[in-house]
Amino acid sequence: MKVIIDPIAYKSAEIIETLMSSEDMPQDPALEFKLRLCVEEVVENIVRYAYKDGQGFVEVGTEIRDGALYMTFRDAGVKFNPLEKDDPDITLSAEERQIGGLGIFLCKQMMDDLQYEYKDGCNHLTMIKKLS
Amino acid sequence: MNVTINQEGNKFNVILEGRLDTTNADQFQKDIEPLMNGDKPEISLDCTAMEYTSSQGLRMFLMLQKSVNSRGGSMVMVGMNPQVKEVFDITGFSNIIKII
Repeated sequence: MKVIIDPIAYKSAEIIETLMSSEDMPQDPALEFKLRLCVEEVVENIVRYAYKDGQGFVEVGTEIRDGALYMTFRDAGVKFNPLEKDDPDITLSAEERQIGGLGIFLCKQMMDDLQYEYKDGCNHLTMIKKLS
Repeated sequence: MNVTINQEGNKFNVILEGRLDTTNADQFQKDIEPLMNGDKPEISLDCTAMEYTSSQGLRMFLMLQKSVNSRGGSMVMVGMNPQVKEVFDITGFSNIIKII
């Protein structure tokens, strides 16, 4: 599946549902919970930060390959590699913890692999989850 | 996300029902405003019917815990489902918020 949404302003819910209703999505509820969480984190980042006022597109895709689910996100917004962000220190106390920086960390923990590249003026983010 | 707050003095029994995500985190922040004031609050969050939380929701719970700590109060989350609990475990929130 590959779908382009343009423009993306205020379209978070629609983009998330587009991905989650793909026929490539596994039906296992426990896995669905994790996938939805990770999809939501990535989509929210793109909708909020990729473009000024959300005036741009995102292409989202799903594919099953070699026993794994690939979820892809492509946008032509500001160049941003979320994988370069430092992980939050999860040993800190409530007072020391920063509010934020959790979304991409959750994705790293819950997915088997995350890949990023900047190519042809676009951010390409891929989340990979092995299906057993 | 449905938020029901039952207050008796400084004791708050709060029932959370549904999904907490990016579409309703702002509303949730408004809904829990009664919990953000007063000395030494004792807050119990009944999470039995809370189906889901994203990182937006985690931010709200961290904000609330910080506020409670600064006022010398206590907060506990009760009855969390295993999947939501895993989100709290992975992010280290289980160490800073009491979950029973």
